[in-house]
Amino acid sequence: VTLPVLLGCPLVGGLLLGLVRHAPVAAGLHLATAAATAVAVAVAGAPVWIAGATPAAPAWTLRLDALSALLAALIAGVQLLAAPAALDHLAAERGAGRLSPARAARFAPLFHLFVFTMLLAVTTDNVGVMWIAIEGTTLASVFLITLERSRASLEAGYKYLLICSVGIAVAFVGTVLVYHAGIRQFGETEHAFDWTRLVAIAPALAPRVLEVAFVFVLIGYGTKAGLVPMHTWLPDAHSEAPAPVSALMSGVLLAVGVYALLRFKTVVDLAAGPAFTGRLLLLLGLLSMLVAALSLWAPRSYKRMLAYSSVEHMGLACLGVAFGGFGGIGGALLHLVTHGLCKSALFVLAGRVLRRYGTAEVARVRGLRRVMPWTGAAFLAAILALLGLPPFGLFLSEFMILRAGFTGGHPWAAGAALALLVVAFGGTLRAVNRMLYGSPLEDDPAVERAPAALWPVAVSLVLLLGLGLGVPTGLADVLARAAAVVAPPGAGE
Amino acid sequence: MTTGGPDAFAQVVSFLSFGAVAVALLFVWRQSLPGRLRLFTVQSVLLAGLAGAVASFTGKRELWLVALAVLGVKAWLVPRVLRRVAPALPRPTGRVPSPVGLLLGAGALIVVAYAVMLPVAAGSRLPTAGSLPLGLAVSLLGLLVCVSARRALTQILGFLVFENGVFMLALLATYGLPGVVEIGVFLDLLVAVLIATAVLGEIEVSFASTDVDRLRELRG
Repeated sequence: VTLPVLLGCPLVGGLLLGLVRHAPVAAGLHLATAAATAVAVAVAGAPVWIAGATPAAPAWTLRLDALSALLAALIAGVQLLAAPAALDHLAAERGAGRLSPARAARFAPLFHLFVFTMLLAVTTDNVGVMWIAIEGTTLASVFLITLERSRASLEAGYKYLLICSVGIAVAFVGTVLVYHAGIRQFGETEHAFDWTRLVAIAPALAPRVLEVAFVFVLIGYGTKAGLVPMHTWLPDAHSEAPAPVSALMSGVLLAVGVYALLRFKTVVDLAAGPAFTGRLLLLLGLLSMLVAALSLWAPRSYKRMLAYSSVEHMGLACLGVAFGGFGGIGGALLHLVTHGLCKSALFVLAGRVLRRYGTAEVARVRGLRRVMPWTGAAFLAAILALLGLPPFGLFLSEFMILRAGFTGGHPWAAGAALALLVVAFGGTLRAVNRMLYGSPLEDDPAVERAPAALWPVAVSLVLLLGLGLGVPTGLADVLARAAAVVAPPGAGE
Repeated sequence: MTTGGPDAFAQVVSFLSFGAVAVALLFVWRQSLPGRLRLFTVQSVLLAGLAGAVASFTGKRELWLVALAVLGVKAWLVPRVLRRVAPALPRPTGRVPSPVGLLLGAGALIVVAYAVMLPVAAGSRLPTAGSLPLGLAVSLLGLLVCVSARRALTQILGFLVFENGVFMLALLATYGLPGVVEIGVFLDLLVAVLIATAVLGEIEVSFASTDVDRLRELRG
């Protein structure tokens, strides 16, 4: 009963927001919807999180297991942090005359519909519905990217729509082939699209057919996850979208793409063994990290830098899944969470820098520490967290993944990943160093006062710090159970 | 209602599928935009026929609706929208890929489609399984045009042919799965319309400062 309520929060809120014309009321409703969504996810997720309750049978195709609960919590958390930043962003853009009231009013409904589609994608048991929901994420977010109607944002939106639509259609072929494998063994049934049923019958399915299907699914959902070579839409879309939207896209949309891959990996592995999917994920993971690390060496725009860093981290997560075991898969899932928290905070901060300096070019931002002491300090802290330095959560998740690689029979891949992380580290730090220090290009910059709008960023930094000091036993438990969903114990390995 | 045995049905399916591939090849070769638009329309009619054939063989009534939807959306509505947009779009600039090179690539892609799909088709009891590689071939040919295109509208057309191939594949592999196929068709429409409007938005922006006449033409 709680799952329809969970999905109803962003859906109803978004639809209501489409009707409200009074700006202050809309702002309140926007925040209330974000808060209600977060509370609903917490209430629905609590039994799974704390008590480890086995998920009930799907109702309306909805089902919440440990893996779904983890992703739902991430989505709810990041949207709660992005929602106030969005108000801040809209007010500033309207103040600068870049956004008409009518266009600004379009933002909140689409924002919540976007959240709704992502939540639906991770809570449905039906892979057909999951496919529709992920297609929905594209449709809901494309007009968020083009919100400002600049030439560049329109092009980015068009590219995003075209590439992701092709990708999602390829994933559809993969989904249909899995269904095909099911009906040729067992005939047509009502539940042939349910993931739980697919898992149950998977060992009897034709392995070659499922392997072909996985290639399609990997290309398709890999496009949404931003894996190289299907990543070409990502740097444009993430750098042209308004900052709070980039935060959602980089922080959770990519993770939803990885989630869809994981669901299919489970089914295919049960039929064909984990070696086949593992090899492919290893290849694409390393390729993503390589291309991203090279692009990070001399980034022109700091928003593109953050976007390429997302490609890098999704590649690392895929590597973790390929390494397998609790360290690999649990590490990859933890990495999705820590990266989501960190990257969404960074995009919110980048949005503030962009508004202050009026440019996304690294070379034209100088003296950030002096001009914007608060934003600059938070930006530095979040970048250090992103690079995987010890007191922050990403250190822990990267450590788990790499250790799983070194001890799990993939020392070369883990070594290569480590080298690529170092390359990315150097490039990113060099660019950020240039932005933070030096004398500001303006003569008399007005120094930023303590900005109240930074509290969501502070919250995610504190969370990252907490996760870096040690994964709480409750979370470790959830990670272990989620990893067991991806790779059921006693099945291959 | 069933007409003919499985053999006759398989023949009809492979005839229509080969037709769709032939049209896709012409689509790759043909350089003019209106010509490609017409080929897309023809292909969509063939697919509607395919859906109808599966409907009459399996007796699934919902598939007749799917066939009608394909006719209405892909063979009528989408070409109509695109034809209206076409004159306002800028001419292509830069090098246009040579048709011969494209056709060679197309040949290679058909081989790839067979190589990928044969393990799936082998051992399947469905009479439609033999045509599965053809669905993938249509997709890949559409994708080829989409990737090599210089202008936005050709890209969209390539995407639509790609979608036709995916539809074909879904129809043949699932033997007509009404719910999902229907939703797929519906989403196709949505995406096509969205892309068209996104492009329209782009045109509006780029022509607003330079060419007002064309902009008015576009709105008329």
